[in-house]
Amino acid sequence: MLYFVARRLVSALSVVLVTLIVTFALFFVAPTDPAASICGDRNCTTERYNEIKENLHLDRPKVQQFAEYTVGIFAGRTFETSGVKQECNAPCLGFSFKNDRPVTDMLKDRLPVTVSLVAGYAVMVLTIGVFVGSMAAKRRGTLGDRALMSSTLILSSVPYYIVALMISLYLTILYPILPRGGYTPLTDNPGAWFAGLLTPWLVLGIYNCTQYARYSRGSMVETLSEDYIRTARAKGLSDRVVTYKHALRSGMIPVITIFGLDIAGSLAGAIFTERIFDLPGLGNLVLESLNNYDLPVIMGTVLVASIILVAMNFLVDVAYSLIDPRVRLS
Amino acid sequence: MSIGLPDSTVGVEDHPASAEPVRDSAVPHGKSPTRIAMDRLRKDKVAVVCAAVVLFFILIAIFAPLLAKLEGADIGTFHPELVDEYGFPTFVANAEHWFGVEPKTGRDNFARWVYGARPSLIVAFVATAVGTLVGVVMGLLAGFIGGWVDRVISWVVDFVLSLPYLLFAIAMVPIVESVRGGSFNLSPDEQASTRFFVLIFVLSFFGWAGLARIIRGEVLSLREREFVLAAKAIGVPTRQVLFKELLPNLVAPIVISASLSLPAYVTAEAGLSFLGVGLIEPIPSWGQTIATATNWFKADPIYLWLPVLGITALVLALALLGDAVRDAFDPKTRR
Repeated sequence: MLYFVARRLVSALSVVLVTLIVTFALFFVAPTDPAASICGDRNCTTERYNEIKENLHLDRPKVQQFAEYTVGIFAGRTFETSGVKQECNAPCLGFSFKNDRPVTDMLKDRLPVTVSLVAGYAVMVLTIGVFVGSMAAKRRGTLGDRALMSSTLILSSVPYYIVALMISLYLTILYPILPRGGYTPLTDNPGAWFAGLLTPWLVLGIYNCTQYARYSRGSMVETLSEDYIRTARAKGLSDRVVTYKHALRSGMIPVITIFGLDIAGSLAGAIFTERIFDLPGLGNLVLESLNNYDLPVIMGTVLVASIILVAMNFLVDVAYSLIDPRVRLS
Repeated sequence: MSIGLPDSTVGVEDHPASAEPVRDSAVPHGKSPTRIAMDRLRKDKVAVVCAAVVLFFILIAIFAPLLAKLEGADIGTFHPELVDEYGFPTFVANAEHWFGVEPKTGRDNFARWVYGARPSLIVAFVATAVGTLVGVVMGLLAGFIGGWVDRVISWVVDFVLSLPYLLFAIAMVPIVESVRGGSFNLSPDEQASTRFFVLIFVLSFFGWAGLARIIRGEVLSLREREFVLAAKAIGVPTRQVLFKELLPNLVAPIVISASLSLPAYVTAEAGLSFLGVGLIEPIPSWGQTIATATNWFKADPIYLWLPVLGITALVLALALLGDAVRDAFDPKTRR
């Protein structure tokens, strides 16, 4: 077991390290000129250009820049902008070109939005998705099951952003049946926080519930045909106890695996939801930075998202190997 | 097929891909797995309808110039006389502009819609072709050669699959643009064509890894089978073992993966264009039109609904077709 965890940890760390090198290479070593893009082209004087280069340490050798960046992540670093010293504390991902703020602080501002979104989404898919899936599995082959499964197939084949956009335009703006999307911090006003996130949660949740319903149905169909389920029934246990206490527990293992990876992916992939419902989360931060060519912010977000994904991957693998010892051998 | 050793090739030549017993050509042949799958597909009504819808869009894309000419409009001409002072079109539709005109610019909606089918399909098909090709070659190499080649390729596959793909796609745009001199120095045409290639590159870069993993797994089990051992024993070169012995046995996973990635790529292309990081003017694209049209959706619903229906119908048809293809090639998935 320890050997398995160690091996997976090494491979996870190697992925993170290479991601760091690759993103750095892409953003700062490739023949790009961040200073020129910050400065703009029309009224960029040579002085200003050189000043930017110096402030961002772009004039130093690339390897040294990379070393400084990496050290900054663990120990923090100090920047000097026209005589003013700025502290960038420990997980330092550099300074934003546009806002003159540490990237880490910007990410910290935006993270609660994305986390709120994903948390509500997680609750929805795990309750509705799993419930619908196990109901369908119990009634496998009936008209209701088939109708449900084909409708989930059709809904999940329509691009997500089309569904979200249409609901946002028609159900929150033109005919305001649902509250409009927006973000108020939970600590400011819990009611407004809930109202602003309700529609995004519903859209994100219901759309993805279809996939969860399909996974859980497949897994439950398999579990319900196991011998121990027959034994449980033979003992005279009620249908509800058999389905929800015996079958659901082991039937949910593969669903939880997918859930772990999906949640990590959603943190990085909530861009469409954030853009359509106007939520100032990480995804919107990336889109804003893109318009400003704010490379450190984009790079920081990519890096953080990759680390979250790799970490989740690792945790899911370890958790899975605890549940199912066969995984360790392969 | 010629493999250089005439005497030992008789059996191999007749049955390049299977270990089935030799049959006379006079005796009716059993159907190949591909034939069986195609027969199943042809009987599947959903698949036939979906294939027709996909074909419809392909024809629209091919004959876009002709259709636009039929209507008498083109994608680039501005008609300021057809929009009022606030930019709203003055009419809904007429004989010259079948689906009205764009707000503000007054360009023809129908012409832009038929041309908009092109980038979606081209990007999706090219990315699928490249991704499939790379995935198959990498999977074959990793599975067949094994050793450090396998370890390196498997690591790269894991690496690619663990990257946040949407964020990378977004990040690639400013990088490639600044490599080409920054967006200030590029003409709109140059910028648009750069975006086009970035899209194809990003989609195929993230698309090959999943297939490579599947192919590797299949090859691991296939390479121990008798027909591969036999081919190796009679001295067939590795390249031919890979492409003439193993590849035909991998048709099912390849076809399934390709048919499932087409709708995903159409979705991704339009989605990235919607976010503003995909295709841009002057290339007409559905995703980008949707992004603009959301600002006018009350005043000019047709402008929004045309590309929305286009993408929805195309992706839905491709996805259901992909599902039917998977069921046809892999009957185990049917429950």
